[in-house]
Amino acid sequence: MTDSASNPAARGGQLAWVYDLNKCIGCQTCSVACKVLWTRDEGEKHQWWCSVNTMPGLGTPKGWEGMGGGADPETGLPRPGHQPTRAEFGGGFDYNYYEVFYGGTAGKAHLEPQAPRENRWAMNWDEDQGAGEWPNSYYFYMPRMCNHCSNPVCLQACPTGALSKREDGLVLRDEEICMGDRFCMEACPYKKISFNYERHVGQQCIGCFPRIEVGVAPACVRQCPGRAVFVGYLNDEDSAVHKLVKTWRIALPLHPEAGTVPNVFYVPPLSPYRLNSDMSLDRETPRIPREYLESLFGPEVHTALATLKSEMDKVRGGGESEMLTTLIAYKWQELLGPFTVDPATLDRQSFISVDSIT
Amino acid sequence: MKAARMNGDSSTLSDPGSERWRDIPAVAVALAPVPLAAQPTEYIRQAWAGRPYGQTAEAMVAAASDGDRLYVRVEWEDDSRPHGEFQDAAGVIFHNGSDVALATMGKDGAPVPLWYWENGRPAPLHLMSTGPGVVEKVADAVPAARALLNESRWSVVFSGPAGSNSHARLGVAVWNGSNEERAGLAAVSREWLPVELA
Repeated sequence: MTDSASNPAARGGQLAWVYDLNKCIGCQTCSVACKVLWTRDEGEKHQWWCSVNTMPGLGTPKGWEGMGGGADPETGLPRPGHQPTRAEFGGGFDYNYYEVFYGGTAGKAHLEPQAPRENRWAMNWDEDQGAGEWPNSYYFYMPRMCNHCSNPVCLQACPTGALSKREDGLVLRDEEICMGDRFCMEACPYKKISFNYERHVGQQCIGCFPRIEVGVAPACVRQCPGRAVFVGYLNDEDSAVHKLVKTWRIALPLHPEAGTVPNVFYVPPLSPYRLNSDMSLDRETPRIPREYLESLFGPEVHTALATLKSEMDKVRGGGESEMLTTLIAYKWQELLGPFTVDPATLDRQSFISVDSIT
Repeated sequence: MKAARMNGDSSTLSDPGSERWRDIPAVAVALAPVPLAAQPTEYIRQAWAGRPYGQTAEAMVAAASDGDRLYVRVEWEDDSRPHGEFQDAAGVIFHNGSDVALATMGKDGAPVPLWYWENGRPAPLHLMSTGPGVVEKVADAVPAARALLNESRWSVVFSGPAGSNSHARLGVAVWNGSNEERAGLAAVSREWLPVELA
């Protein structure tokens, strides 16, 4: 384990993630890596602590961006919001695998969710739909997880004190204390807290803290095949997350107007040009409307995109760019911040069950 | 109120539909909403400002004891509208001799024991409550609870260790799930109900 992994305070406290949306291919490997690690127990079938939304889209829970919550910009206090329901999260249903594979119904039966057709929804139900009209339709992928906010309104809303913010900035829940009151789910503007209907507790991303504590990167980061996500301490000036967020300011928080000061950041998506009706290129107009990106990431998105384009032009002209080199991540371990320990090298029995580390 | 003394097999008392409860007098207990101002977080106070809760006005309460276990039967009228997320619930609050506050289900520094049942929850809970919804789970002396919904009336029988005192004072609380009531958003007894444990 590296010193910085074991001593977060020395390296700048708050843990942060940066997702490069220009590299995310929507493969859901982060989602699955998290799923198989943390949400396989009772009452967790419908839970996806990490999930990749197609944007624009309704996402999960369905229509989360219209569910309120967050913090008042004046007082910083939580604002009322809607508690996403099981139906809005969707999923958690089985498929007719047996019928299709062993039922002697070849060519007749097809895989289908075993749930009422009306109001079916699931984690990636509107994947790849996006928006716009051909030939200028568009979409991009956006992984979402608990933002481990610096102003965690979930914590403020909870009457039992079940939530706390650690020294490394992770917002964690003590399930022994949680009574399942779900005010946290109402207050969270990102709607990334799920409810376990079997055990009557809220649950959300734990930042893979058992891995972090032994120097292993979170599963969503380590398993990403697109090298699209960075983790590290935000105030560690040597870290990629610090440079992307603080120095170059090209990684932005999602919905900063929600006022919770999130610690998951996104490099906004560049965009192909629009096509004119004669199929010539309209080089002045990005296909993803800038006002849409501004609605997600705030007005700083324009500067961030301009910076990215400027750096790309510099490299095309034969120059060098530390920013692009960082984003490309030629060396995979550069994504992992101080959490470079290979889990295969650990004495796993000493801290967690063998099959819990991927 | 006098807790009926039961000799012989008292296990049928845990059934809220048991014939034995018909012979045990029940007392009407007036309930009132836990004050909004006493709710423990600004979020709850703001989200529920102007929104009614704790509107269950009355519960019928009866008690029995076999010397070892205390049985408390709570019955109330519910609107019985199903809610996909929140469930009806009830609790029995015990005056434990300190400077206790019933209207707020205990207060900081003066916790009160609370037996808590919630429809659909795997098991009832033994809680220590220091305010509306400000509770801590207690691992020992966990009560048993059985519930019955008869048309629009819930009846729940709680049972747990009777203790050695000859008197007790109880309060009850009711949460209406269809109104999304939980934590401190409840109707609670206006006054302690003295119970003589014969």
